[in-house]
Formats: sequence, C-alpha cells, structure tokens
Amino acid sequence: MRHLVVLLGLLFSLSIHAAGEHSEPIGYVKTASGEAFIITAQNRTAAQPGTPIHLGSQLKTGAQGSIGVTFKDETVVSCGPDTELTIDEYLYQPSQGKLALVTNLLKGSLNYVSGVIAKLKPDAVAVKTPTGTIGIRGTQFVVKVEPEMKP
Amino acid sequence: MNLYRLTLPVTLAALLAACASPPKPVSYVALLESPDGSVGKIAVKGGKGEQVIDKAKTGAPLDGSQPAAPISDEKLKQDFGAAMAARPLLPERFLLYFESGGAVLTAESAALLPMIIASATNRPGVDVSIIGHSDTVGKAEANAALALKRAQAISDLLKEKGLKAAVLNVESHGESNLLIKTPDETAEPRNRRVEVSVR
Repeated sequence: MRHLVVLLGLLFSLSIHAAGEHSEPIGYVKTASGEAFIITAQNRTAAQPGTPIHLGSQLKTGAQGSIGVTFKDETVVSCGPDTELTIDEYLYQPSQGKLALVTNLLKGSLNYVSGVIAKLKPDAVAVKTPTGTIGIRGTQFVVKVEPEMKP
Repeated sequence: MNLYRLTLPVTLAALLAACASPPKPVSYVALLESPDGSVGKIAVKGGKGEQVIDKAKTGAPLDGSQPAAPISDEKLKQDFGAAMAARPLLPERFLLYFESGGAVLTAESAALLPMIIASATNRPGVDVSIIGHSDTVGKAEANAALALKRAQAISDLLKEKGLKAAVLNVESHGESNLLIKTPDETAEPRNRRVEVSVR
C-alpha cells in the first residue's frame, strides 16, 4: 500500500511537471509592480520582466500589485491589485489549426487585448469568472470580479 | 410652485439616504475601443442570461442578468486604472519578403531590419519569434526546409545588426500557413515571407 502511495505521489508530481515549468513558455511577464507573483506548478516566483508563463500558471497580485503579460500569439493581459488569473488552456499552432486560450479570473481586475488566437478561432477563446463566461470576437475589454459577499 | 418646494427636500432626503448605503459592487465586463481604433464584440453568459456587448464603454454584469449599459470614464478609471497602467507595450509584427527561390531580402524588406531592432530595444523582457513561410511551388518538405533557411537567415542578420532578445524562437511553417490562399504549385511572392513578432 505504501508503495502504491509513493508511486501515485511520483506520478502526480510528474504530471505537474509535464504541465508546468518543464514545458515551453507560452508568454512572458513584461511589467510588474508591488506584490506580483507567478505561480507555476506550486512554485511562487516574484514576477519581473522576462519571467516565463506556462500552461497552468497563475498570475497573482497583492493589495498594491499589478502585472502585465504578453503571450506568444500577441494576446496582452494586465491585472490590477488583489487579482488571481489562471491560464487554463493555451494552444498556439496556427499551421495545424490548433488554437485555444482560456483564462480564469477568480477575483480582481483584468485588461485584455486579444491576439492572433482570437482572430483565427474566436470560438476557442474565453475568460471564465465565478459567475459568467466571456466570449471574444477580437477586441479590448476589461473585467472586474468583486469578492463574494458573505450574507 | 408650492408642490415643487414641498417635494424638493423629500427628493434630496431620498438621494442622501441612497448615498448613505452605497449599492453592492457588481462584477462586470466592459468593452473598450481596441488599440487599432476598432470596436469588437464580446458576449457574456452567466447563470441569469446572456448579453452581447458591441459598443465601447458599455458593460454588463458577469451573471448575464442585465443588458449592456454605459460605464463612465470615472468608473472605468477607478476599477481598471491599475490594470490599464500595467498593460505592456503592444506587440509589433513585421513582414519580410524575399527574391524568388532564395533567402535574399527585397530592398524594401531589408530597410525594415533597423525598425525591428529599434522595436525590440525598448521592451523589458522582450521575446521575439521569427517564422519562415514559403509559397506552394515545389514539395512541402523542401518548402519547410526553405522557409526555415529564410527564418534562420533573418535571425542571423538581426543578431549581427545588434538584436538583443532574451528569447528568440526560429520556426518554419513551410507552405502550410499561406498569407494569400493559392492552389498547390503557385508562385506567389506575398507567401514567400518571414514574419517577425516582437513582444
């Protein structure tokens, strides 16, 4: 039984690495100020220009933080304070028609300028939030997710 | 007139009462003008409905409960000032063209090289992709190799001229990603290109 647990643990960590920092970066941090972090495969890094973003990475800012990221397909996202944004899906292989960009804004504020993926395959681009999902037809927009009110 | 005198203080009192308990902040999405001046379109779908937003500076709640309504500049600035200020420089894309069959740039395209280097120079954490493309004359494998050769030639040339990028990707899409759609075995100068994306 213990061996099984160890094996499962090993497989789990391998799968995290497969989707995490050993994969190709999909974008890079370009701006960062205040408390701004990139969390990839459970490792938290202070964000600065050049910090890589991977599939599954989370952008996280504190009360005075902000962060800006440019993806390989030229999508540009930036976050204000108290924000958590994860990159759930990213596929950018235009010559094979493999295209997708799904992000999840858990809380905070987001400025989004869509890139090549939204141009080539708008249906494959979405921003999820706790209460609704935004579909995109090539444009710039902003999203604000307020903290959930305790009754 | 008497009625006016009577109702005004009542209205003011109601307004003051409304100010004393501000409305609960609402999670929302707002459309902005795109950097190129156009206005796109978004749709938001939540538990209470679906709304389409196609006018700049209008927004709707994320639960889809209300149609799009104007959002003031003050509100946008208050909610998104920090996110907007953190927006990176927008990426720039350059298209370089070749004389037929080889990796020699046309004169117009050669003149773009200093602009590419200037664009990369002022970007913190800059990353650059150089992607080679061919037209459809010849076999697909040969075109993939030719397009890679073109992209590599541009990469060498840019580095020689002083391009400094932390990350530089050189790729080939061969004849699979045509700018101008053509049948196979069609000479098309606009498809013989290298795209340089500076981010």
